[in-house]
Amino acid sequence: MTDAAQTINGVVIDDGFAEAFPMRATRIVVTAHEIAWARHAAVAATGFATSVIACGCEAAIECELGADETPDGRPGISVLLFAMSGKELAKQVERRVGQCVLTCPTTAVFAGLADGEPIALGKNLRFFGDGWQTAKVIAGTRYWRIPVMDGEFVAQETTAVTKNAVGGGNLLLLARDTGAALAAAEAVVAAIRRLPNVILPFPGGVVRSGSKVGSKYPALGASTNDAFCPSLLGLARRSELTPEIGSVMEIVIDGLSEADVAAAMTTGLQAAIGVGAAGGLLRVAAGNYGGKLGPYHFHLLRLLGRAAPPAAPGGAA
Amino acid sequence: MSLRLTLTNPPPLRLDLRGITPAALAGLGPDAIAALPLGHGPRTLPLGDCFRVDGSLDDDEDVLVLAGDLSRVDRIGWQLGAGRMIVDGPAGDHAGGCLAGGSLRVIGSAGLLAGVEMAGGLLRIEGDAGDFAAGTLPGSMDGMRGGTLVVTGRVGARFADRMRRGTAVVFGDAGDFLGARMVAGTVALGGRAGAHAGYGMRRGSLVFAGPAPALAPTFVPGHGDVAVFWQLLARDLARLGGPFAALPGAAIERRLGDLAADGKGELILAGA
Repeated sequence: MTDAAQTINGVVIDDGFAEAFPMRATRIVVTAHEIAWARHAAVAATGFATSVIACGCEAAIECELGADETPDGRPGISVLLFAMSGKELAKQVERRVGQCVLTCPTTAVFAGLADGEPIALGKNLRFFGDGWQTAKVIAGTRYWRIPVMDGEFVAQETTAVTKNAVGGGNLLLLARDTGAALAAAEAVVAAIRRLPNVILPFPGGVVRSGSKVGSKYPALGASTNDAFCPSLLGLARRSELTPEIGSVMEIVIDGLSEADVAAAMTTGLQAAIGVGAAGGLLRVAAGNYGGKLGPYHFHLLRLLGRAAPPAAPGGAA
Repeated sequence: MSLRLTLTNPPPLRLDLRGITPAALAGLGPDAIAALPLGHGPRTLPLGDCFRVDGSLDDDEDVLVLAGDLSRVDRIGWQLGAGRMIVDGPAGDHAGGCLAGGSLRVIGSAGLLAGVEMAGGLLRIEGDAGDFAAGTLPGSMDGMRGGTLVVTGRVGARFADRMRRGTAVVFGDAGDFLGARMVAGTVALGGRAGAHAGYGMRRGSLVFAGPAPALAPTFVPGHGDVAVFWQLLARDLARLGGPFAALPGAAIERRLGDLAADGKGELILAGA
């Protein structure tokens, strides 16, 4: 916290910024006979996808789609997947669709982005058909029809990858106690989840194990963010906390563009301010690495229109 | 501005219009266009001997219009790669043959081999088409291999013979051997089919929005739910209107075959 921090509705908003990184991303649309089965597939396909540190990708459900919003006229789920490279993203998409969507009753899968470099969606999964698969080009788009036990699995051949995606936008919610921290986090998550083009990849959209770069153990690239651990106040060499803060929750945001992450952070900030000190939320901060690692900087006060824009070009928000 | 070529002096032999495309005529003045050679039997003659030239093609949006009774004028739009052409009247043989892009609209009927081996673009015939439309040139292994062919009238025999890719739809009736020896692609028929529909087809889809055709014993009933594929295809065909507009709501039956060939083709019976 710096002297330039501002207090709104009793909540201190740090004069700090979230540091975010470029990612590769795609959207896929999973449809099914009933929304419940599309959801089963989407939940499975986005499982164990909280962080690229060990999951290969970050993925989550973006939103539910009505029958009038999908290519085949059935209810569906829109899923966003993010990875650090196009190659890793392609691998993750193929594995997750192959194991979690192809296997789920009545599902079909379609690309959710039109523009960008194509990666395989059904292109290689078709070989599951053991020679019985057939392709069909409809309105310039190629689909694969793979015979399965409930009929056939239809998968669009490719999906597009955007290179403009941004991962790692974040808000740190510093609250009086666990109950207040959870309530504030849930309010922020609910507000952000109403927006398109962004996901919150962690369980329930919330992280309690925020990390810093590096560790005393050479084998680990990241370790607990001790400066924000209430239990280490007075023990750790440096702490960002004050004694009245009993619990900290982090909201991590991935978006298809810089503007999408900025919009989500702004919405999250406003929701947090709405909770206010009366709700036990005392302060909002953001995680960064000194601004040297990630090219995207989302300044909290600038997102709220309460600080001067940056003097020099470069950086964001 | 658009360019209009009106047939005023039909020559005694058939004319060959290959090479007369928007790209070839773009930027040329009337005199230069009138001097272009047209095939006429074993010889050539200047375009201006047969056609009156009005206008010019100045940008990509301009349309090349051919007007008159062109039923003895062949290879209109042959190998067209881009741009728009309209035939205001009947067209001869090979109309839209080897079409690769752009669009050719025939406001009238077309002769034999319309859209033969077309690979892209849109060919729309607002009349009837003769035999071998969307098929192969003699000696070739593949027929239509891309693009969209729409015939609002009837077609002759061997429509879409050896077709490999693309969409070919006929609002009216079709002659014998519709989609015979198809390798892949989609054919949709609004009217009645002649004998031997799908004969020897390996893959691909023949959609019958009207009466079901006579079914050969080498086609077997198709089971299982294919609703997703059908909605994707039916919605795309419905955009073409006519007898296909109601397809997304139609209940379908399928026959799979031809078991005498690869057997992965399908006849989709969507008529009432």
